[in-house]
Amino acid sequence: MNLARSLLFLLCGLPGLLAAQIGIYQHGTVVRMHMGDCILAQRGLMATFGGPATATGQEACPEYTLVSDSVVFVIVGKSSNHLIPLAETIDFRLRKNELAVLIDDAKRETRFTIKEMVVRSEWERMQRHIDEQGGASQTNETKR
Amino acid sequence: MFFATDKHHQPVEELAKDDFAVIDDERVIRDFRSFSRADLTKLDVVVLMDSSDSVLPRFRPQMADVLQLITQWPWNQDDNLSIMSFSGLEPHLLCDGNCRNWFDADRVALPPGGGETPLFDALDVAANALIERRQPDIWQVIILFSDGQDTISKHSYADAKEKLLENGVLVYTVDVSEASQPSYGIATLRKIADDSGGRCLSIAEGVDTILNDVINDLESARVVTYIAPQSSADFHAIRILPTRNLNLQFRSRRGYYHHSGGAR
Repeated sequence: MNLARSLLFLLCGLPGLLAAQIGIYQHGTVVRMHMGDCILAQRGLMATFGGPATATGQEACPEYTLVSDSVVFVIVGKSSNHLIPLAETIDFRLRKNELAVLIDDAKRETRFTIKEMVVRSEWERMQRHIDEQGGASQTNETKR
Repeated sequence: MFFATDKHHQPVEELAKDDFAVIDDERVIRDFRSFSRADLTKLDVVVLMDSSDSVLPRFRPQMADVLQLITQWPWNQDDNLSIMSFSGLEPHLLCDGNCRNWFDADRVALPPGGGETPLFDALDVAANALIERRQPDIWQVIILFSDGQDTISKHSYADAKEKLLENGVLVYTVDVSEASQPSYGIATLRKIADDSGGRCLSIAEGVDTILNDVINDLESARVVTYIAPQSSADFHAIRILPTRNLNLQFRSRRGYYHHSGGAR
């Protein structure tokens, strides 16, 4: 029984441990999070463009904006409680078109569907624009 | 204000400010102005009792449970307690403000109301009563005994919810249905409690358990303040999530109303 457990632990934890030791993880910070549509995460990218959506219930999936040195990722969890620990810095790597995040003090990885990827400089430019628009509309409301 | 529990819903004693992050209007906040245990100084409690047709067979035991709860509650000198019932077309204020000794065995024997269930109207009236006497250092709490099935309210739940959230009123709901037959309104009771940051409990757990749960909860509350992020919307949805230990669970009201810059 113990042997089986040890083997299971090795099989589950080995990829993460090896990757951590090899040092292939990138680092990033989650700056935004909201509960969004689960369809993309549950059925893959084609569901977004494919035929009529089937009922997937009312479940919402967490959607995170993860900012790394050069790229900003928007990633989606596969269920409502598929969460990322929101530490200042998290370790992640790209794996088979998904983003694998190291969690539980680096004991295991959990994978997220990638919804968007934007070059960081472009994302920062868009954020500045959004902030300016937000500031302008607030000023207008105050004047009224 | 928020509550931290482990995966078994037991309050967490040790919690540091870097153990959690606040999601405010979708923005992740980790930089807090202050973080501390909440000082439970003074309480203003409204007990709301459903006395409508749907709970009539269980009304007297429910009254006895409320009496037991009030008698056993560790009240402080300055705490306020008001008692309301709701049935028929509107809620009824039975006792306002200083009611710790109002409830006795004779009151428990009073005939129940019966009729329709103006649940959301009762929540709205209770919220208004609390808002009228709101003071910064007083915690305002509603304990709602009901089966959660509104049948006639003039107000919607959204009306009451806005007032509860805006004023930080904490709602504990107690499902008065029998354990073997959960109420159809249990989802409503859960939503009311979850939106405010409170908890949904069941009368079947027994008054002692309910009392312990609520008191432990109130004593384990924490307060965090931070600069509210800029937003074009008045309502900021909030959620608290762990930064390391995913077994930690957090409860707080679902959001707050914010009309200009400042800390919350």
